[in-house]
Amino acid sequence: MWSTNPLIAPGDTVILWLTREAIQPLLIEPGKEFNSKFGSYRHSELVGVPYGSKVPSRTGKGFIHVLRPTPELWTLALPHRTQILYLADISFVTAYLGITSGSVVVEAGTGSGSFSHSTLRTIGPTGHLFSYEFHQNRLNKAKTEFAEHGFDTSRVTLELRNVCKDGFGDNVLKLLNRGGEEEEEGARGARGADAVFLDLPAPWDAVESAKRVLRKDKQTRICCFSPCIEQVLRTVTALNDAGFSDITTYETLLRPHDISSVPSLPTIAEARSKIVDIEVRKEEKRVLQVMSGHRGNPGKQAKDQDGKSRDAGVGEKRKREAKDKGDSDEKGEEGKGDEQIGEVEDSNSDVGGGKRIKVEREDRAAGDVRMEVDIEPDSVARPEGLTSTSGSSAEQKILTRVMPEVRGHTSYLTFACLLPQVVETPSMRAKRQKGEKVEMNEEETQEGNFNGEVREKMSTEDESNQEENKSGGDKDGMAS
Amino acid sequence: MSNPDTRPSSSSFEIRSSRIQSGDTVLLRQPNGDIKSVKIQKDSTVSVGRIGYFHCNELIGQPYGFSYDMEQKKLRVLPPKTLDDVEDTDATNELINDGEFVQPLTIAEITALKQSGVHASDIIKKQIEQHANYSLKTEYSKEKYKKRKEAKYSKSFTTIEPTLFNVCEYWFNKDQNRIRDIRPDTLSQMLNLANINPGGKYIVVDDASGLVVSAVLERMGGHGRLITICDTDSPPAYPVMINMNFKPDIVAPLVSLNWATSQEDYAPVGPPSEVPPEEIRSDRQKQRLRKRKLVNDALEKTREELFTGEFDSLIVASQYDPDGILQQLVPYLTGSASIVVQSPHLQVVSDLQNKLRNTPGYLGPNVTESWLRRYQVLPGRTHPTMNTSGSGSYILHAIRV
Ligand SMILES: C[S@@+](CC[C@H](N)C(=O)[O-])C[C@H]1O[C@@H](n2cnc3c(N)ncnc32)[C@H](O)[C@@H]1O
Repeated sequence: MWSTNPLIAPGDTVILWLTREAIQPLLIEPGKEFNSKFGSYRHSELVGVPYGSKVPSRTGKGFIHVLRPTPELWTLALPHRTQILYLADISFVTAYLGITSGSVVVEAGTGSGSFSHSTLRTIGPTGHLFSYEFHQNRLNKAKTEFAEHGFDTSRVTLELRNVCKDGFGDNVLKLLNRGGEEEEEGARGARGADAVFLDLPAPWDAVESAKRVLRKDKQTRICCFSPCIEQVLRTVTALNDAGFSDITTYETLLRPHDISSVPSLPTIAEARSKIVDIEVRKEEKRVLQVMSGHRGNPGKQAKDQDGKSRDAGVGEKRKREAKDKGDSDEKGEEGKGDEQIGEVEDSNSDVGGGKRIKVEREDRAAGDVRMEVDIEPDSVARPEGLTSTSGSSAEQKILTRVMPEVRGHTSYLTFACLLPQVVETPSMRAKRQKGEKVEMNEEETQEGNFNGEVREKMSTEDESNQEENKSGGDKDGMAS
Repeated sequence: MSNPDTRPSSSSFEIRSSRIQSGDTVLLRQPNGDIKSVKIQKDSTVSVGRIGYFHCNELIGQPYGFSYDMEQKKLRVLPPKTLDDVEDTDATNELINDGEFVQPLTIAEITALKQSGVHASDIIKKQIEQHANYSLKTEYSKEKYKKRKEAKYSKSFTTIEPTLFNVCEYWFNKDQNRIRDIRPDTLSQMLNLANINPGGKYIVVDDASGLVVSAVLERMGGHGRLITICDTDSPPAYPVMINMNFKPDIVAPLVSLNWATSQEDYAPVGPPSEVPPEEIRSDRQKQRLRKRKLVNDALEKTREELFTGEFDSLIVASQYDPDGILQQLVPYLTGSASIVVQSPHLQVVSDLQNKLRNTPGYLGPNVTESWLRRYQVLPGRTHPTMNTSGSGSYILHAIRV
């Protein structure tokens, strides 16, 4: 799976991190060139560079980070051919379905391969992914990608199939699952998948066939991924009818937090001084006008004052903008330098503003002290924060809020379990051997793979019986 | 990622036995929903809360997931619950419990509603609502009602397969403080963000009762290397791991250092393992020295491994200041490695993010919180469940560059 070498080599797929919003894959083909507003780079220049490096542009303008692909980066970078799954859903589905090292997983449809990449990583070289897609072009693209990304093709089976109409075929049941007690005792292995994941418009049409390809010697799980609640209802009914149990539905989302730091929040004392300041200036102006005998031109006076207060408003706004700009992190690596310059400029103008207020209010001693305290740290603390000395956090206030633009809904995740064939407990076996009928609710045992016949023959110690029973169970599954 | 030669070949290890074995710790769900963790030992008897006892041999060899009826310490496998049963037990409690039919609106009530100015359509709606309840009620035959009552007082339980999800959920509901509020969704994100896969090399700091260590070990499937750094002089017992029923091969990648032995300039305190031959007085002393040397050599080897670096990712779920932890451990990560720091407190990770985004070597540090909601899906009665947990803690993720 992808390159595991420390250095980038020709033929590697790498992830280019331009900004947090601009992450894209690149297949290294010496002779080609990568151009963007973040500079231009010859592929040959990237060869031999360690993964995780910051590479400056040939033109000296801008730089990019070259990363080793992970399924999580791939999900952010991949070319979309369909709607895709993202981290929150992928990881939750993986965990709920119990997908782990060595799992055999069935997936439909392949789509853009976002879920497939993550699953292939998690199941590792001892697992197997069966991925079905009925769209030829998408299937081909996925095939090419898996090859380019160096996946061991013996552990992934991509198949062109309409699973709603034609089921999952025979390939899954042909594969020997590494799990299962049987394997330890000899050649017999469990057949079938540990988990099924359905991301299709009509998953209910594939539920019965999904059940057929799940292994029957242990509990297995299924997940259906649907955006609409009406789909969920139909799926739940289908799962229930097919004999799945523990049916439950979840929704999960990721809430990214926006983090910024300010020296301190503005105080009402600051606001009060500002108001008082304006009042004082107004009064001074009025007195001045009275003294110089300027009467009878009220129009000019009003305009003057308006102009002043508008000015103050603009200053405020600029200050706020500067703050926002400085606080939102990761505005493209290239932009970062500019940002810092911007900040310094802005804090300079802040200082200027501060001084002006101070000078103008020389006579208001009480307000003065507060204003000095309030304004000075604004211009000082920021550069201090940039050097990230650990002591500075005491003066800094870290603010967090949930990012305003956050994905509100992806899909509902409907899960269900399929119980294995019944294994008799010693007391059940004893009872049967004594010729007593083991009471079970016949009406219900007809459902699902919890079938009456199995219980008649199965025993924990006599494993040889199990093979027969399994085929019996399978036949049952197929017939329904 | 690690060298190809440390990657598993075709040899595969099962995470745990798919059948319950003697010595396993098994989670049992009781009819009231409570979960109990019991140790299964051959030829012994186990109690399931107040509902009774059973003989362990009855459960040995059973696959996970079945419900059992308990009678005279014997177990009988029960058929799985269908949706009808769920409806029976959960959805209509209030109707069945009061033992009375909900009456449709009476003429007098309708007149009263009309007089109070309620619109006719609303009245009709109300009537239908009432009627729906009514017909719902009549669906429950006496037979079903009896069955439900039986289930309520039955001595039954269900075994829970110890998947990572189930074990995490069990601990989260039991005592979320001990696993630092890591909910299953958060745990799953940590594992994916850290790109855990069989054959990788990872560093984990786990003050979450071993939940993270167990999770990483499961995903490694017995291949690769996991170094944990702990705050005790000897490796801690990880209580969560007991529930995983790992096979020995699965635990093999795990070695531990502590905050003293993981320092490059650490000098062992304690008696030396090598003594001039003339000072050795007895065979017992010789034996003790040999043992001590083995322990010291193993420790030295693990230290060496850590200091050699090139680890694929670092996961921190710790009570200690993450800043110091990262300063010490991030140098051992390979380029492009993932760093995941989890905390129950937003402040801890946001302070860290604020620092890292101005520190070279960390790309795109971001803080996320997972949101999770569970739904009851029943025809006509689909809604989110009432008891949804407030928070599943916070994650900071960054890439080492
Ligand atoms: C939303 S996409 C899957 C995205 C994928 N989970 C991912 O993360 O990239 C759904 C895919 O299912 C395919 N599909 C829909 N119905 C199908 C069917 N009956 N059989 C096979 N594939 C089907 C579509 O062609 C489409 O590519």
